[in-house]
Parts: sequence; structure tokens; C-alpha cells
Amino acid sequence: MSRQLIGSLLVALAIVAVTIVVVTAKLGPNAEESGEDSGKNRTEQREDNSGKGSDED
Amino acid sequence: MEDLLDTLTRGNPLAVKTVLASVMFALAIYQLILATVGYGKLRPRFLESGPAFLTHRASGDVIVVLLLVVGAMCLATGEDEDDAAFHAVTGWVLLGVVTLKVIVVRWWHGAGRLLPLLGSAVFLLLGLTWLGSAGEYLS
Repeated sequence: MSRQLIGSLLVALAIVAVTIVVVTAKLGPNAEESGEDSGKNRTEQREDNSGKGSDED
Repeated sequence: MEDLLDTLTRGNPLAVKTVLASVMFALAIYQLILATVGYGKLRPRFLESGPAFLTHRASGDVIVVLLLVVGAMCLATGEDEDDAAFHAVTGWVLLGVVTLKVIVVRWWHGAGRLLPLLGSAVFLLLGLTWLGSAGEYLS
């Protein structure tokens, strides 16, 4: 029973780790090669956060 | 508050929210499987009902904490997307249903038969809220 509990908790941890890796890979600095849009989104976000805004609109 | 959020996320609150929301959604799918095992609808040889429910509870606690963190981040950063209203409505309803589920699990045991329904509602609302924000951001 305790082995099953530990095993199922480890599966939960693995799910968390894999999700973080997959999503970060899609959003991270290396993701620009896989999609132009995601890179554009990040740039817009940085501009928003710096308080300078964007005059593209 | 926004400055604190920017500092904590190193200027990427949207990306951090997306990662945390995706973790929540992935855990919610696992929760669904664990509940199915817990209620005996699925009987794998390697997992019994007891451990499945214990992990379901632990994983659910993690989801609640993440939900509160992401919800606070959403309120702090604000949403200026076209479908922000849909995201806000599903998010608030999700918080309400999760609160009710926690109350039933911890104190209101008489309403225990509602748990499968509440759990399904939480999963559905989590999926809709994720699709309306993180899912779109990732696509």
C-alpha cells in the first residue's frame, strides 16, 4: 500500500516536471525557432512590463 | 503589487502564469484518473482505491495552492485580451466550486455524494479557464 502511494505521488511529480519542461521549452528563449508568434508575444510582454508600451496598435 | 510580480517572475508574469496553469491542468487530468481508480470504475492491478484517493487529496491540495497563486497573479496583472471576460467568469466560478468542494471534503461530509459532480465541474472549469488563456498563449 505504501509502495503504491509513493509510486502514485512520484507519477504526480513526474507530471509536474514534464509539464514544466514542455511548456518552458515552448515559451523559453529557444522557442523562437519553432514559432514566430510566441517570440512576438514575449517581446510584447517585455515591452508592456517595462512601462514603455508598444505603438503597434 | 505589479512591481513585486515583475520582480518575482523576472519580467515574465504571463509566461509564469502559463506554466503554472498548465501544471494545474496536467494535474487535473491525473486527478480525474485517480478519482476513477478511487471510485472503483477503473481497477488497475498496481493501484488500489486507498492510495489513489490519498494521492488525489495531496495533488488536489497542490492544485488549490496553484489556483490561488495564479488567481492572485491574474488580478494583479489584469487582462486586456478580447476574451478576458470569459476567462474571468470561468476563473471566478472555478474558485467558487473549488471552495465548495474543499468545504464538502473537510467539514460538510453529509454532502459527500456531490463530490464526483463537484470534481467533474472543477475539471471542466479548469480546462475552460486554461483554454481561454494559457492554451491560446501556447498555440
